[in-house]
Amino acid sequence: MIKKIKASISEKIILVHLILLGIITFGTYIVVSNECLFIKNYKPKNINFTNPNNIAILNAPCGNVIIELYPEISPNGVKRFKNLIRANAYEDVAFHRVIKNKLIQAGDLEFGKKGSLDYGKIGNGKSGMGTIKSEIYNKFTYVKGSVGLARTFKNDTEDSQFFIILQDEPLFEGEYTPVGKVLYGLEVLEKIKYQRNSEYILRPDFINSFKMLN
Amino acid sequence: MYHILLNSNTIIINSMSALRLILLVFIWITPVYGNSIYNLIKIPNLEIYEINTQNKLKYFYAARPFRLGTQKNIVCSNPDKKDLEIKYKIIYKNLSRYSYDYLKIINLKYIVMCENLSISELYTAGIPDNIMKTLILDIKFNEDYFERVIHHEVFHIIYLQYKEIFNEEEWIKFNNSKFKYAECSTCTKNIGLKKYEKTKGFFTEYSMSTASEDMAEVYSHMIHLKKREIDQIRKLDPILNNKISYIESKIKQIDNSFTF
Repeated sequence: MIKKIKASISEKIILVHLILLGIITFGTYIVVSNECLFIKNYKPKNINFTNPNNIAILNAPCGNVIIELYPEISPNGVKRFKNLIRANAYEDVAFHRVIKNKLIQAGDLEFGKKGSLDYGKIGNGKSGMGTIKSEIYNKFTYVKGSVGLARTFKNDTEDSQFFIILQDEPLFEGEYTPVGKVLYGLEVLEKIKYQRNSEYILRPDFINSFKMLN
Repeated sequence: MYHILLNSNTIIINSMSALRLILLVFIWITPVYGNSIYNLIKIPNLEIYEINTQNKLKYFYAARPFRLGTQKNIVCSNPDKKDLEIKYKIIYKNLSRYSYDYLKIINLKYIVMCENLSISELYTAGIPDNIMKTLILDIKFNEDYFERVIHHEVFHIIYLQYKEIFNEEEWIKFNNSKFKYAECSTCTKNIGLKKYEKTKGFFTEYSMSTASEDMAEVYSHMIHLKKREIDQIRKLDPILNNKISYIESKIKQIDNSFTF
């Protein structure tokens, strides 16, 4: 005959503690592994914009980044940017240059596409549409969230690559063609993958989609 | 013998692996910090001195010594803060004479202030780089001619930007036919910057080094001297009169609104 052994109170307490520990560990794992957990994903449909025709929505791994474009400051730069957005050219393109809390750069359509990334050449790619002239003489203050077109060392070499700054950069005024400013979702950009030891990213994050609101 | 060689080779290989490992660890743990100034003009160790100026010139200073160039042959040190304060005011005053539009045309935007500037161990007042829109100035360079030399270096930016406009062959013809410039600006010992009492075609001894240095000397004197002094020189020295007219017309060609 088998005797039924009753668990003592202390054994029951230990069991409850073990269950709690398991729950906490599992919960912590979920929180830690999901870096986007506390990032607000802005829905453009829920926001009223004063210039809806100049609103672009960039979808990154942690959500939407809503950008207002400034055609009155850089007409040609914004025209090029809009054309590429409307052509869905930026979809699956890498955030290939990321400096923590400083800037993110993307838009290499030639060497930065998912599936055909070329680490040796990324950052040097072209759109095939040719370069455009720099528009750097209108007043524009580069503050956190400003969006500009990247170029080589020379002016008038802007093409498809763009950057978004994550801190104020007063020296950028008069150097880079500004195209807009992030209205919502800077925290999404702050979660883009970066590397401590390099500006260029191994296995980078990608733009999921980039569309105009209208 | 072979055994010893093998051992030494093993040691070399081991030490090379260790070195590689140290380098890898060093690279791995060295964080990258984006430096806006370096990204813009490719000069390390600079900090902002003043960027809110009327003509939008941005002034930087060397916070630590820096080396530049593919051969790392351009060297400059960080200046003393008090010297910098004094010299900045002088540089600022002199460069404020140039409008934003003029600076835009000549492609000058950044001024780097440092001390003991040298190129291949030869001390120099300034190094112009029109591509990077940058002029490096040695704030300790010859105190007597410091202000004028600022404009001399500005001319070099203009010259580099508009080489096709400034024709050296034409310029040489202004001089006496027997006169010959040195092979290069550092190929001569005649580098005096004191203005001649009797000019005879040249403002200074250094004017005689090369045609482009002569042009820079003429330009800097045109900026630095009073109009009546220039008019006087024009009356007394026909060669300099031609040179002054030449610089005047070429600068007008670049920016019609510029006045000396």
